[in-house]
Amino acid sequence: MSALILISVLGVLVLYVGLFGRKDMLAPVGILGVLGAIALFATGWHIPHELLGGMLEFDGFSTGFSLAMLAITLLVFLFGPDYYARMANNVAEQYALMLFSLCGGILLTAYNNMLMLFLGIEVLSIPLYVLAGGKKYSLRSNEAALKYFLLGAFATAFLLMGIALLYGLTGSFDMGVLAKHIAEAGTGSALLRFGIFFVVAGLAFKLGAVPLHFWVPDVYHGAPTLVTMFMATVVKMAAIAGFFRFVDITGMPDPLARILVLLTLATMLVGNISALRQTNFKRLMAYSSVSHAGFMLLALLSDSGTEAGNGADVGRTLLYYSFTYALATAGLFILFIIAKRANNGDEHHQIFRGLFQTKPWLALCGLAMLLSLAGIPLTAGFVAKYQVFLLAIGAGWLKVMGFGVLMALLGIYYYIMVARELFMASEEPVTFTVSPLNGLVIAACTIGVLLLGIWPQLVGVWA
Amino acid sequence: MDSLITAIRVVPLEHYLVLSFLLFSIGMAGALLRRNILIVIMCLELMLNSVNLLMVAFSAFHGDAGGQVMVFFIMLVAAAEVTVGLAILVHLKRNTDGVDINTLNRLKW
Repeated sequence: MSALILISVLGVLVLYVGLFGRKDMLAPVGILGVLGAIALFATGWHIPHELLGGMLEFDGFSTGFSLAMLAITLLVFLFGPDYYARMANNVAEQYALMLFSLCGGILLTAYNNMLMLFLGIEVLSIPLYVLAGGKKYSLRSNEAALKYFLLGAFATAFLLMGIALLYGLTGSFDMGVLAKHIAEAGTGSALLRFGIFFVVAGLAFKLGAVPLHFWVPDVYHGAPTLVTMFMATVVKMAAIAGFFRFVDITGMPDPLARILVLLTLATMLVGNISALRQTNFKRLMAYSSVSHAGFMLLALLSDSGTEAGNGADVGRTLLYYSFTYALATAGLFILFIIAKRANNGDEHHQIFRGLFQTKPWLALCGLAMLLSLAGIPLTAGFVAKYQVFLLAIGAGWLKVMGFGVLMALLGIYYYIMVARELFMASEEPVTFTVSPLNGLVIAACTIGVLLLGIWPQLVGVWA
Repeated sequence: MDSLITAIRVVPLEHYLVLSFLLFSIGMAGALLRRNILIVIMCLELMLNSVNLLMVAFSAFHGDAGGQVMVFFIMLVAAAEVTVGLAILVHLKRNTDGVDINTLNRLKW
């Protein structure tokens, strides 16, 4: 709780620092605050505790996810001063809104009550609508923000409808009461089926699962790149954590689990197929995030239906999967911003050309992160996918797992396409300027990805 | 307060369910079909308010105050959400001079 309060107060503090015009102090204050929150979480991670009369429940899973999200936010903030260097006004708001959004994410990892689920999703989303429209005079950014807002509000209405129906069934917003009701009365009731369907629709939208993924490429493309990086990493982790808690607590008995199977299959298929034909790097990363959401849903599936009950394993796997995915994605986005600057704002894959000739270490870092996303052995991405497939076999989802393997193989293609550009020589000389801090952040992401690949237990100690 | 709850209970619960489903569907149809963004936002509000109605009805029938507290939270969050939405719309209006949803066509595939 103290960490949650610290982050929200930190957001207000950053706004005040901005008010007094100390733009140079924004990122340091934010970074110190996030480090403080990490310390607060890390000291109390092993003691499960309930807050607000049982509405929030911090156990190993939620603390692990919160720590991972804080760590990725730290990377975003470390890159922040560079990204906002040319922006004169309203920089403090960008940091503050990210911190507020992070608060919602932490609520999502720990909710035990549907009121907190709703508040978490909204606190996570509303700052993002503003952040996506961060470039006030860019039509593309306006469009992304408005699309995200309209579709997000639409999804919220569905989520609320589901919560209302489940409330009508049990007379309580508590998730424990709902789980007890399902265990005792079964899944025959129409209120329950419609309620779960609507709630899953709302959660799937936030996660970007097909068929509710259509906002992902547009919003990722239109939003300022640092915000895209935040959305693709921290917000994705919060969404999958929220989704997992819902599936884990309700157990999703058999007829309900079918929705999840359909979601998983569609997400893996559409995400990977659509990514194949992308030439814009931001859109490629958007579809890559959709396909990774599909693999995370596959892990979720192993905790539903008749096989429900291996929640701890699934939670650990999800934490490992989403953290390694977020690390590689964050590093690649920073690399992308550097290459985009060197090419006057072009966003196609070709901007990476000539990187190996001028900055070989950077190109090798980029290669390691791309291979991790593709799931090549010796990187964390491989171990993550392997664990997900292992869980799916253990839970008896053999056919879905086979389809997942096929899609993972397909996915390698478009990551290799980008990796090829890293090593190609460019026609005209391009100068990539990398500040030492940026190089350090990219190196940290790469080392994280490689280290977690060799030593996967590193994440396991949290959850 | 008790008299109010008895008054709510005079109408059977099914009627509240049907009414709020109808309102929800009208809102959904409007949000999907209308071209003016202001009207789309109004339709989204209608969807949220149909949920509010359902929450209050369930709350009265269960004799549990939680549903009514939830309604306050929904109203609060909906207000915050629409504030942000209208601000974004004002910027779009400045940049494109219109509130037609078809202007949102620069980002595709």
